Amino acid sequence: MSVTPIDDRTCRAFDRVPSDANPGALLRFVVGEDPGPRPMSNADMAAELGDPFATLLLRAGTFPRTAEALLAGIDDATAAGDPLRSQMTFLLGEGSQLPDGPDAREANRGMRFIIARGSAPDGIDLLVSAASPTAGVIEVMAWDRRAGGFNLYRTVSDGRAWAFAGNSRHAISAATGGKGPFESHPSGSLLMKELKFPWLHWHSPPANIFARAFEPGDERANHRWFKDKLGADVLETSVAIPSIDRWTAKRFEGLIGADGSFQRPGRVVEQVVTTPTVNIVTSNRSSGAVTNGIEVDLPATFFVDADALAGPQLGLAAPPGFLVAGEHYLAALEQFGSALVDRTTGFRHPREPGRFADTHFAFAVPERAFEDQSTLRAAIEAGLLTPRLAACLLMVDFPNPVFSSRRAALLAHAPATAPATAAYSEEMANRILAAADAAGDGSPEREFADRWAAGADFVAPFDALLQAYYDAVTARLASRAGYFDVVRLAESRRLRVRAMPIGAEFDLLFATLRDDTAPRPLRMTPTATIDEET
Amino acid sequence: MPLLDQFAPPGDLEDLSPVGRRAWSEALQAVFGRFTGDFLQFIDPTATDVPDDADVALVSWGAFPATQRSGTPEQRWQRVDANRDLQDEYCEWSVERDDAGEVRAVTFTTETPDYHAHLFGVDADAALGLYEQFVGRRVTARDLRSAAGEYDKNNAFNTRVDGPIVHLRQASNTLAAAVQLAAEATILRERDGQPVTDAQSLVACGGLGEPLRNSDPQIAAAVNNLAAEGRDITLAAPPGLYITDLMTNGIQTRDGTDPKTLWSIQRGSSQHAVRGRFEIPDELAGGVTVSGRPLRFGSQLAERVGVGLSVVSFPAGRRPTREPCRS
Repeated sequence: MSVTPIDDRTCRAFDRVPSDANPGALLRFVVGEDPGPRPMSNADMAAELGDPFATLLLRAGTFPRTAEALLAGIDDATAAGDPLRSQMTFLLGEGSQLPDGPDAREANRGMRFIIARGSAPDGIDLLVSAASPTAGVIEVMAWDRRAGGFNLYRTVSDGRAWAFAGNSRHAISAATGGKGPFESHPSGSLLMKELKFPWLHWHSPPANIFARAFEPGDERANHRWFKDKLGADVLETSVAIPSIDRWTAKRFEGLIGADGSFQRPGRVVEQVVTTPTVNIVTSNRSSGAVTNGIEVDLPATFFVDADALAGPQLGLAAPPGFLVAGEHYLAALEQFGSALVDRTTGFRHPREPGRFADTHFAFAVPERAFEDQSTLRAAIEAGLLTPRLAACLLMVDFPNPVFSSRRAALLAHAPATAPATAAYSEEMANRILAAADAAGDGSPEREFADRWAAGADFVAPFDALLQAYYDAVTARLASRAGYFDVVRLAESRRLRVRAMPIGAEFDLLFATLRDDTAPRPLRMTPTATIDEET
Repeated sequence: MPLLDQFAPPGDLEDLSPVGRRAWSEALQAVFGRFTGDFLQFIDPTATDVPDDADVALVSWGAFPATQRSGTPEQRWQRVDANRDLQDEYCEWSVERDDAGEVRAVTFTTETPDYHAHLFGVDADAALGLYEQFVGRRVTARDLRSAAGEYDKNNAFNTRVDGPIVHLRQASNTLAAAVQLAAEATILRERDGQPVTDAQSLVACGGLGEPLRNSDPQIAAAVNNLAAEGRDITLAAPPGLYITDLMTNGIQTRDGTDPKTLWSIQRGSSQHAVRGRFEIPDELAGGVTVSGRPLRFGSQLAERVGVGLSVVSFPAGRRPTREPCRS
């Protein structure tokens, strides 16, 4: 059967599947591997797909047109008491906390449901994402117990057909990684951008999403999914983290050879020294509650990779609580013209001159993604990275936990193969040290060499570096000018996220600041001053 | 629906005699009565009919205190485990360890001191019996009395962080406080002519507790949203704070034992649990991980324990107006 090629390597390729393409069929369209969507026979499905969505529905010829029908199909195909009948429903929307009023109706609130089915200590088996139970695009991630990893599906052709878009393994394959859905799932994991308390944009204990977030008459506000929704605290703990760790564990199983080798180690190092994706983290304080006289906590992981450096494996000094005075925070909103803007609809909040706004929870910024932290932890447990190497890599340009071009430069020294897992760290360190001799002063390699020189007892000297930096950050935040610089840095990092697939979808992901806030990429220095990236 | 005859004890606990149960109901009616006059949309279901089709909404939050999230996970877990004054989300816990220092049991409670003070007052023997059951040794009435002769929630048996626990003792963790919060949250607020609906702002504006807690803003916002729809509101029977769940996904055991089997409800029912215990048998000592980390602190489980209360509401045709902030 001929395949109509689609010349698009992004996730938008799925929007270009012709509307008359094989209704009621499963199309294989793994971007980077398939030139275009091609129908899968039952034998194809049986050979490649071992997840419950495929085995219970698709292979039985059931191609649901709505998310509600999909879940009903799972119910019909399973017996009472089957974990796949156990449902958890979650809700998010980048505009879910906009103030009431006619202006808000102009906004694309981005409301969508996430449904989790199945229950096991190591995670759930089926995740469904849909803006509505009864209409629109449906995306599915289903755990394949036979092959391991999530199989990714979505509806195409205006819901007339389904596409199999790849397995988590395709995310880490050279041909398909970063393409199609793996633009947003770069390591093949489940994506929950706002993974941590207070879970900006999600229905959660600190920020309920009420029915008024929907337009009057929107049936979703009366649907059982809305009434039964659980908080993002449950999603983080019961679904997202176990699922990410589950894929990490499965992935590492496949990478470690019986002969002690480790396959494609560079891909793991890439997740340590670069920023393939991010999570979004905020203050615990809602922006609307900030007044003069109170202090606003800022997320520590904006300033340093506390999750890795101060975690149990590396054990370095944890940052203190970083606080800024409410008056400085409010002054910065005004200084940089902060507002909630949706360019796709012309929505702006607030409209009134002289008034400013931030995201619901203050100071939304990117942090190193949990999926990359999970990979780092697994790499240390597997012996691929020693704690010393991991600490030395992460302590290069440590004031910039994300988007560090200096740290990313070290990836060039990562050996492409690891015939002996246990020897990998020493070999990579030696390669960087060898390059450091030729590299100029101030190079990342020289900085690494300085770190490596601390030896096996690196904790005390690294703690001293960190503590000096923490003190400098605390001092900077005490002044209005210092905080304004931090806001410029934050905006610089937000703009990097907006250029990523996960940041481009919804304008309301972050507040919008004046264009001249951070016209060029910025970086933090160990003395807590802000420089332009060079 | 006929009037509720009387308030049952939290979790429908059966410690009290019929006379004691009636007295508990009267005590709780007095608490409700302090607010029903001033807050028109807050009702006492023993005094006002609640329609059969009234909506019941569970308001739930995490047991680990939201105000204590600073530092590394290990730092915050250790800090909160060691100080029950920090456990301010209507749930407290205590950790039992073996000689090797391994966690062997974590007991969570949402039983309020209001109830235990009442029980001690009307049936001291029953109260002592509970203490003896939980702490495993003889307890006398003198042990539980303050110098003034009243029931002391901070008695030596109820203040431990490293042994059995009986009921809540943190200053904010009372049923009366929850009732007051629900009642006062029925008032709609505005500041500078703008409605105040964001949870933290509402708490600050209405003087409804601690804005950065999990519980207070959540209860306040949920009740306030219902009040804005013109509904009348009360707490579902039996009024109480309940343990809603322990999320076990991500908890793993050395031998593959389902972690659900390590969790049991010791007081109340599955729908209205007030005491839960996670107990690790000998063969699994040191062999439980939570999100990949060894279980070393009760707080690791507290981050997975849900706490909640249920709010009943029904359309009452109210047209509430907004009042300015208290401060």
